[in-house]
Parts: sequence; C-alpha cells; structure tokens
Amino acid sequence: MAQFKQWALEYVLADDEPVQLQLTKKAAKEIEDSRASSTVVGNWAASVHQWMTLTHSNDDGQMEDEDERANGDIVSRAKALGFLAGTLEALDKTILRPDQVQRLIGFFGAMFSYDHKAGITASAKALRQLYSMKNFKPEMGIKVLEDVSKLKEDFRLQTAVTRLELYELFLSLVEDPAVSSELQHKYGSSCGFALDLLQLCSSERDPRNLMIWFKIIRRLLTEFSPSPEVTEEIFKAFSAYFPISLRSSATPIGITAEDLKEAVRNCFSSHQRVAPFAFPFLMQKLDQGDAVTVAVKVDILRTIKACIEEYENPQASVVPYIKKIWGSLKYEVRNGEVKESIDATIEVLRAIARKLDGSKTHKHEVTLLKNYIDLVFGDCKDDLSNPTYTKQAGLLLLTVVTASIKGYVFYNASFIDIIRQNLRQPKSPTHTRDLLLLVNSILKTRIELFKNRKVGHPDDEEQLRSEPRTHLVSLFHDVYLPIWTGKASESDSKESDVLKQVALGLGLLVSQQALDTKGEVSLLCSGPICFEICNLLTVTLVKPLTLSSNDNQSQDATLEDDVVLALRTIVMSYTDGYGHILKTARKEIQKRDWTGPSEYSLEALKILLSRLAFIGCSEIPTQVKSDTEPEHPYSPLRHYDAWLRTLVYLFPLSAQSLTANSYILSSLHASVIWFRDACEARYGTGALAQYSNSDKNWLAEFEQLPGTFFSQTEGQSILPDEVASSFGEDDPETYLQFLRLSLFIVRGFYKGANSEAPWSEQALVQLAQTAALVVRSLDEKLQVSCNLAREAFSLFKTSEDKPCASPLSGLLTVGILQGLHPGAMTELYQPGGVAEKFICDTSDLGSSPRASDIKAAVGAIYSNKYPAGPAASEEYQTLKRGLQFWTNYIKNAVKSSDIDSGSFHSFTNVAMHTVAGAVARQEKFVLDLIPILHEAAASPSPNGEIVARSMGILVQPNSEVLNKESHANIKRFYKQWAYNFLVRPLYDLARPGSDKDPKATARYSIMILSVVKNCPFTVYQDDLESLLRLLVTALSNKMDDSVLSEEAAQAQVIAALEILVDILANEPSALKGFLKEIISGATKVYQESATSNKTLHKTLTTCRKLSLQVLGALPKTFEERYLLCFSRPTQRMLASACGDPVRKVREAARSARANWAKVV
Amino acid sequence: MREVDNANPSILNVSQLPSRSRKVTTPRQGPDSKCDNIVYSKRPWLCGSSSSEDEDLEEEYGEDPVDAQDIYDLISPISDPEHPHTLGQLSVVQLPDIHLTPPPAERRGDKLVTVTVDLTPTVNHCSLATVIGLAVRYRLEQTLPPNYRFDVRMKDGSHAQDDQVNKQLGDKERVAAALENDTLKGMLDKMLETCV
Repeated sequence: MAQFKQWALEYVLADDEPVQLQLTKKAAKEIEDSRASSTVVGNWAASVHQWMTLTHSNDDGQMEDEDERANGDIVSRAKALGFLAGTLEALDKTILRPDQVQRLIGFFGAMFSYDHKAGITASAKALRQLYSMKNFKPEMGIKVLEDVSKLKEDFRLQTAVTRLELYELFLSLVEDPAVSSELQHKYGSSCGFALDLLQLCSSERDPRNLMIWFKIIRRLLTEFSPSPEVTEEIFKAFSAYFPISLRSSATPIGITAEDLKEAVRNCFSSHQRVAPFAFPFLMQKLDQGDAVTVAVKVDILRTIKACIEEYENPQASVVPYIKKIWGSLKYEVRNGEVKESIDATIEVLRAIARKLDGSKTHKHEVTLLKNYIDLVFGDCKDDLSNPTYTKQAGLLLLTVVTASIKGYVFYNASFIDIIRQNLRQPKSPTHTRDLLLLVNSILKTRIELFKNRKVGHPDDEEQLRSEPRTHLVSLFHDVYLPIWTGKASESDSKESDVLKQVALGLGLLVSQQALDTKGEVSLLCSGPICFEICNLLTVTLVKPLTLSSNDNQSQDATLEDDVVLALRTIVMSYTDGYGHILKTARKEIQKRDWTGPSEYSLEALKILLSRLAFIGCSEIPTQVKSDTEPEHPYSPLRHYDAWLRTLVYLFPLSAQSLTANSYILSSLHASVIWFRDACEARYGTGALAQYSNSDKNWLAEFEQLPGTFFSQTEGQSILPDEVASSFGEDDPETYLQFLRLSLFIVRGFYKGANSEAPWSEQALVQLAQTAALVVRSLDEKLQVSCNLAREAFSLFKTSEDKPCASPLSGLLTVGILQGLHPGAMTELYQPGGVAEKFICDTSDLGSSPRASDIKAAVGAIYSNKYPAGPAASEEYQTLKRGLQFWTNYIKNAVKSSDIDSGSFHSFTNVAMHTVAGAVARQEKFVLDLIPILHEAAASPSPNGEIVARSMGILVQPNSEVLNKESHANIKRFYKQWAYNFLVRPLYDLARPGSDKDPKATARYSIMILSVVKNCPFTVYQDDLESLLRLLVTALSNKMDDSVLSEEAAQAQVIAALEILVDILANEPSALKGFLKEIISGATKVYQESATSNKTLHKTLTTCRKLSLQVLGALPKTFEERYLLCFSRPTQRMLASACGDPVRKVREAARSARANWAKVV
Repeated sequence: MREVDNANPSILNVSQLPSRSRKVTTPRQGPDSKCDNIVYSKRPWLCGSSSSEDEDLEEEYGEDPVDAQDIYDLISPISDPEHPHTLGQLSVVQLPDIHLTPPPAERRGDKLVTVTVDLTPTVNHCSLATVIGLAVRYRLEQTLPPNYRFDVRMKDGSHAQDDQVNKQLGDKERVAAALENDTLKGMLDKMLETCV
C-alpha cells in the first residue's frame, strides 16, 4: 500500500514523462507479480485516495484563494488519475479479472458525472485501456457509453485531445461486433445511445476529431438499424457540416479539406436508409443557383454520385429521386459552361444508368433502366435538331445509352436513327459536324464496351451476340458516303471539318467487331464494304501525287492527316486493306516520270512514303476474322513485310533522281523506327532479353535463300508463311522476327549499294543509319554469331556482288560498327586485320573532306569499343598501334612542308577523333600520347596551329556515332580526366612572358581554349583565375599575323567569348576583377569584327553576337556601381550596334542596350 | 475611371499579324512526321570538322538590313493604353504605313535613314493619340541606332486633330520635355512592357 502511495506521490510531483512512465511500469509490475490479487489492486486504486477526497471544494461563492487551491488540486488530481490510467496502459491486458475490470469501469465512469475538470482526460484514457482488456464484457461497453454520455454539455469544454481520446473510445466500441450487438439488443431501432452521442458531439469543429466522428456516424447508420426518426436525427448531425471546408492553418495537421469532404460523403452514402433525406437535401443545395461555387457544386455532384453508387436496392433508394435529379442536372450540361461541373454531372448520370443496370453478379429488372433512358431521350431528342444544343444533348444521350451494354443494345439503334434523320436536314456545316462527332463517339464507345464485355455480367456478352447491327453497317452507305461525296470537292474549312469527322468515323466503323451466335469475333463490316472504304480514303491519300502543283491548291493538310489516321485504324483490323493501299500508291508513284521531278513531286513523294510507313508500321495489326477469306494468313509482321517488299520494288525510282531514291531509303529508316517503337510499346523495352542466348546465324540462313529472292517482285512475302504464322500478335517473338526481317532487308540493300547513281550520299547515310538501328537492337551474342564485325568491312558482299570502292562506302561500315557491342568487336583487333589496315591507311584521305569524316568516325568507334582485355594481349597491342600511328603521323606531318593545310586538316581530324574515342573511356595509353600532341601543336610550322585548334575534339567525341544507346563506352567523368592531363599543365606555358616564344604561348592558349570550350563549367572552375587571364588576353590583344593566322585568331576569340558566357551563367562573381578588361575587350571585338569580310563572314558575325551577349549579361549580374564608369561609352557603342546588318546581332544588341539603359 | 474612347475596337488575332517567321515554311506536323528530322535531316552526317557547315545558320546569319517589317516588329507589340491589346492587334500600326528612306536596298554605310510611321487611331477623336505616338517614337529611339531619324504621324484623315498631334510629335523639344514627366514616363514604360 505504502509503496503504491509513494509511487503515486512521485508521479504527481514528477514533470518528466519518462519518470512517470517508469513509475507506472513499476506499479503495473507489482500488480502483475501479485497476479492481480484483490488486495494489491485495491491498494493500487486507493493510492490516489488523498487527492480524491478534496473533490467537492470548488462550489460557487468560495474565496479566491480557495479557488486557487482547488485549481491546484485539480492539477494533482488529474495527475493522480493519470497515474492509474498509465498503470493500466502498462499492465498485462489479460491479468485483471472481470469483476476488477467492472469495478474500475465504474470508478472511471463515475468521473464523467462528478469530475468534469480533472477526471476526464485520464478516465478516457483508462477506459480505452480497460476496453482492450481480455476480460472486458460487451455489457460493460454499454455502461461506458452511458457513463460518458453524462458529460453532456461539458463535453465540448474538454480539450480537443481529450475529446479525441473519447471519440476513439466510441469508435472502438461501435466497431466491436460484440458490443454493437449488445447495443442493438438493448436499444433496438430507437438507438437511444446514438441520440445521446449525437447530443454529446453536436458541436465538434476540430478536423481530426471530425474525421473519427464521421466514421462513428457511418458505423451507426450501416451496422445498427435506426428507425427513420433516429436516422433523420443522425442525418441532421452530419448534413449540418455539408459542404465542409477547412481553414488553412499555419501548423498543418495532416488532414486536408479533401479528406473531410470524403468523410462527409461517406456518411451520405453510408446506407440507403439515408436516401429520403440525402437526395432532397443535396438537390436543394444544388438548386441554389449562382450562390453555389464551382467547387461546392462539384462536391455536391460527387456526393450524389457516391450515394447512387453505394445505396443498395435502387428501386427503393434511387428510382424515386431520378426524376428530380435529372430535372436539376440536365441544365448543368445543356446550358453549363464550366468543364468541371459538366464532367461531374455526366458522372452522376452515368452512375444512375450503371446502378439501374445492375452489377457484375446481379442484374436488375430491365424496365428500371429503360424508364430512365426514356426520360432522358424524351427531353433531349428535340435538342439534336437545334445546332446550339446538339453537342450537349448528344453528350447526355451518349452518357446514359452507353453506360451499360444493355442500355447500348436497346437504344443505340434509335439513337443513331434520330441522328440520321437530323443529318438529312442539317442546319449548318457545324451542325453536320457535331452530329457526325456524335455517331463517331457512339462507335468509339461501342469499341470500349465490346472490349470490356468479359469483365461484366455474363448477360452482357449474351446481349452483344444478339444485338441488331444492320443500322451500323448501313452507316457507310447512308451517312458517311453521301456526305463525303457531296463535300469532297469543297475546300471551305468548315466543310473540311465535316470531312475530317467522316474520315475518322470510317476508321472507327471498319474497326468495329461483332460477336456471332457461337461467340466468335469477326469484323462487323463485310469485306467488300471495308474494301470500298479503304479505296475511298486512299484516293485522298495519293491525291497530292496525282495532281500537279497548280491543281493542288489546298494548303491545309489536316484533312489528309486525319485520313492517314483513319487508314491506320482501318488496316490494323482489316489487314487486307494495307495491301490495297500499297498497290494503289505504287501505281501512282510509277505513273509519274521521275527522271527530272519538280520540287512539288519530290515533296509529294516524300510525304506519301512517310504516310504509308506510318499507316502500316506504327502499330501491330490485330487478328480479327472477316467474312471474306484473307489474301494472306495473318501475321503481326504482315504489313511491315508488305511495305519492305514495296520499297525493294520501288528502288531505284530512276537513275537520275537521286533525291527521290534517297526518300525511299529514308522511309525504310522511318518504318524501322516506327515498328521498333510499336514493339517496345507492346512488348516492353526488355522483351528481347528472353532471346538473348540465341546463337543462330541469321546471315547464314539468308545465304541459303535463292540469289534472286531479294529482288523478287509482286505479291511475294519475304517472310515464309510458316514462319510468319508461327507467332501471334501478343508474342514478343514478333520483335525478334522484325529485327531478322530488317537485317535481311538491310543486307539486301547493302549488297547492291554503290556510290554511283542511283545511289547518293544521302541514300547511303539513310541505309547506314537503318543498319545501325537494327544492329544495335541485337544482343552481343547474336552479333557475334552473325559475325557482324566482319560484315562491317565486307558489307555483306560476296564475290558476285559489285564492290563498292568509293570512300563513301565507309558510311556503310560506320553504320554497322555503330551498333555493335564492344564484345562483338574483338575480331577487329586482330594484328594486321582489315580494321587496322583501314584505319592506318592514309592514301584515300586526300579526295574529299567526307573521306576524312568517315575515317574519323570509324577511328572513334574502333578506339572506343575495344573490349577490356589484358595489357599484353595481341588485341591491345593492335589498338595501341592504331592510336600511335595517328599521333606519330601528325607529329611528323606537322613539320613537313609538303602537306597543304587542307590535307593536314583531314589528317588531324582523323587523328583527333581516333584518340577521342579512347579518351571517352579513359584509356590510360592516351596519357602517353598527350605529350606528342602538345609537341605537335607547339611546332613552329603553320600546321601546328591546326593541331592546336583541333584539340577540343578530344573532349567532344561525336555523339552521333558514340552514344550510350549504341553501346559506346563513355565514362562519366572523362572530361574531367582529360582536362587534368590535357590542359592543366599548359596554363603556365600559355602565359606570355619576355623569355617565351610568342608563337608557342599563342598555340598553348588556343589549345586550352579549344578544350575548355567543350567542357562543362564544373570541370574548369578551379582554374578560373588563370583561365580568365587567358580569356582577357585573347579578347584584347590583336595578334601579329606571323604569330596567329586570322582564322585562328577569330576562332580563339569565339572560344573565349563562349567560355565567358558560360562563366557568366555559373560564377559571375569571378569576373569582378576583370570587368574593365572584359568590357573593353568585348567592345573591341565587336568593333573589329564589324568590318565586312566575305570569307570570314560567319565567324565575324558570331564574334559580334557573342560579344554583345557578354556585354548584355553584365548589367544583369553586377550592381550598378561596378559598371557606372563604363556606361556611357558602352551605351553609345550598343546604340550603333542596333544598326548591325545581321538581324540576330541586332536582336542581341537591343537586348544588351535595354539592360545597359538601366545603368545610370 | 475615365470612359474609354472606343469601347469596342476590332481586334486582329496574333496569327493574322504580318510576320517574317511565317514566311519561312514551317515543318509539317502530320501524325507521321515523328521521324522526319531523323530521316530527312538537312545535315545528313555529323562528324568531323567539315560538317559544321550549317544551312540554318547560314540563313540566320545572312545580311539583312533594317526594313519595314523590322520596324513593325519593334512597335507592334506596344500595348494600347486603354485596351489589353497591342497596337498591332488594334491595327493602329500597319505594315504598309511604315516607310524607310532610303529603302534598305539602296542604303550604304552609316548614312542617315528616315523612318516614317503613320498611325491609325481606332477612332478619329482618340484622346490618347499623342501618347501612342510618343510611345512609338520612344520605342524607336530606344532600339534603333543614332543615324536613324523618326517621323511619327497620324495617317491623313484618321484623326480629327491630326495636324496638332503631328506638330506635337514632330517637336523635339516637346518630346524631350514629355519624357521628363514622371507620370507620362510611367505610362510609356507600362505600354512598352509587352515589348521583348
């Protein structure tokens, strides 16, 4: 006893929570040790006696000091009770016996009658603990509720936290099945306890408490069966909060206004017994007119929707209110302007239709739905003939008719019939368009309904089997065709809108599917109709090519674009259609004379090919039965195959028109991109991984085919039928076979490729890029087994094929190399191999700059995609030899006076790109080469300048050729790495000094700027000080012609200005000490480059533009005091710069002038 | 608030205004044009030094002396003091009413160039015509080089008091004095906010 008293006292005196927790644990342990003997529990309960006896000292009229004493008592008494509650919390929940629990409930329950000031918080906590005791009996729950209800008015005086404690207690009680059944047994439908609770909690405003209170209310309505009177009382309690909002608070509590709305909504939708109150209440709120804001309106509509969806037995709960709801809502859509509320209204109307239809498991009496749709029909039918309301009325009808399959099957015929009648006497082109839009929407929704037929009730599918269809099929001849033929010749934009709808509608019509009585799916329209539709639209597709430029006045391609979309939709279902389209297009193309085509013809050809590729290859066709036997068996690759065949057939169009020929290869490239994207969208980007271990040699398989197979024409399929039909549209095998087919085509074109007519550089580039795309999609193993590395140099050609000797053939080599994995390149590093020979051959470089570009690209890939291997390996030695060859070549060539600057440029280009490939993967051997390059650049010969200027290439390998998608090895921080070894050591050497050769310092400076220009700011930010000095020197010192050529000097200035722009964007404060030099330097650059010089025109223009950009950025970054002294001369200079002959420069000048105008 | 002089002016759509950019053909935007810039690229091969030749850049950096369209582009985005529209949209500024002497083709060096702009107020009693004229003049002064002279006038017969307005706008002293006036200057700055 004494022990408990002592602990209680310590608890009361303590302020620290951990200390208090410790004490309650001790007390709990003591009780547990005694196995809850009556004496110990009694002693424990009595330990707070000394604080309890003073409870009656705070009557009215007492002296002030007594009041204070009483207040002091309240605090200690509350704490003392807290001690008991805390002990209960710490106590083993199974240890107290039922009688002890009951007695404690009695004790704490009594507090709600006697001690409203001190007892409530602790008692609430204690009661919650007691509720969780094992020996808590359901009847005790009733007692708890009765006791707590005695708090009455004083409930709202409690703190929010205390109330929260009590709400949680109530919620646990009403959610406890045993307690709630006991409550029902005792109170029945009168629910007396519920009324007490309603009274108790009637003025709650705390959001956290409200969240729980709404849960309790929902529970009361769903689990108990309150009489209508009690239901009304409960309804009043929560509807008073509607519409609920939340004041924004500085201390967020983790509850949003949306949570509260949802909680209230759950009360409304809790049970159909609320319906008689809820619907009238909500409708009345809605009908307040303009007084309702959009947010509130949406809240009301969502609540109505929730009620409709949740209430059971719609006949009794929803049907009686439908008229009223419809009466209010129809105007929301008919005359509404706010999209949110229109959408929410549509949702409600759809919810009604779905509710009346029934659920997945149970369908309601069909008359319910019919009556509802009839009601809507009656009101909206006439609006369809009024152009102002056609769209809205159509939307309403569409919503209710297509909400369920049953509604659709019963009403779509009459719906379409009304539209058809109106289409016969349209009021205006827009009216026709709106009506067509409606028909199209019905068709679109039908596709959705059809797709989801298996998800719903089995009856739904049954309904679809027996649906009437003739009115849909006849849409083509009755509706679409007459409108199309009537308007096709008109060019009015409104009429064109109508035609667009017809085109889209035709697409939707052909893709409609139907179920026959056996449940088999087939196309709704017959083969001949599909064929007719396809032909009709194909005429528009090929029209630009059939007309001459004078006849084709139409500027607006949007109708043609919609026709293209429609045709794509069509051929995805009606697979024979694509063949017809290709046939027609091919004929039209061949009809034209391509020997000397006009710009117009070329453009028309380009667009037509691009569209054809899109129509057939941008999606994977679906397999649907048709009433006519298809011309070829279905295959997901069928369209792609047919398209490739057409391209092979068309190429070359003529020996003269190289552009037209190149367009054919461009569209091959486009179709590979389209189909690859379609495969990735359908099967996922990782779909090929499952085939990664294939060691098939496709090329060897291709060799088995007869030699003429590639060029066979007419109707033949490249893919044998047995392969083509071995996988379905959902099989990722499609992706693999697509690549196989593409490789076959690429190989075929490669074999015939040449650098003479009909081939052109453009055509070769497109072919090479297609090859790159195909090759890079293959995994390493397949690349190895097909031996693509070897083919990169033999270009799939055999001894029978015509060799391609021109340097341009290197383009094709690049195409294959570009897509290879490093692992598949091993063969190329054989000593003395074909690759090494190609790279180290300088004889073919002089002919054209392209030759140097191509070799540079091959070199870059070669040195970049070296698969990691031991340093002593032969392969590594070969790689090193290649790199060494080029650096040494440059080192020696720079001194030679025989080599003109043009050729030397080509050599440097190859050398730098080859080394750059190795730099990108941080190849250590490069460090040995850097000093050689430095030396070459510093060489006094004029060619050294070229080396210095090209140094930037090392940190800017060609991203077209080397990128991650093409499996290039690009290290994340390679620029940082290269900068360290390439540039850092040069800063000292580049600083001008009396003892230094001015030419060498100038070269070093060019080298630094050329590299830094290509690096991000973070790479060189540590060397800003030294760098800025170089920049300033580059801007302000005009070099002697003997030191630096004019071209190099300009390039250096451009680099310096570009770097300055970069620094200004990242760390402008670094420029503070150099403002004078920068401003005068930039001004000088502008003035000097304002002279006209035809050969350097572009460089000079760039100089002017950049210098103005730098000047213009300064006032935005620096305070006026730093710039004031430069303001006048700069503004004068900028004013005259506003008259620059080049427009872009004038723009820069104006913007700089506006910025400087603020510096006064 | 003062009643506006013309409560319902006719307004042109931004796309209807004369513009240089629209003279250049825009790329096709069909559903099939996704790969156009890859497969019909103007720059087929981006590798090495010689490929930096860029046709677009060539076009962009070509010499193109200041012409009437340039002047139009400078002054048409000025906001009207009464309506939330630009002078271009309200047809106060019209391209055919802008003249440069000597014309761009005959210009040599830093010779004096005179820009004549005739403004058409939306109603012929527009009380803000002077302010609009001043704004146009101010904008031109701010954005054109010192060898340009400006003559901003009301189009003949477009304003009831065009003589007086023209006289005010032509008087350098009065223009300079007007720009010293803070209220007027504030108004001009507000009108020029829409110019980029």
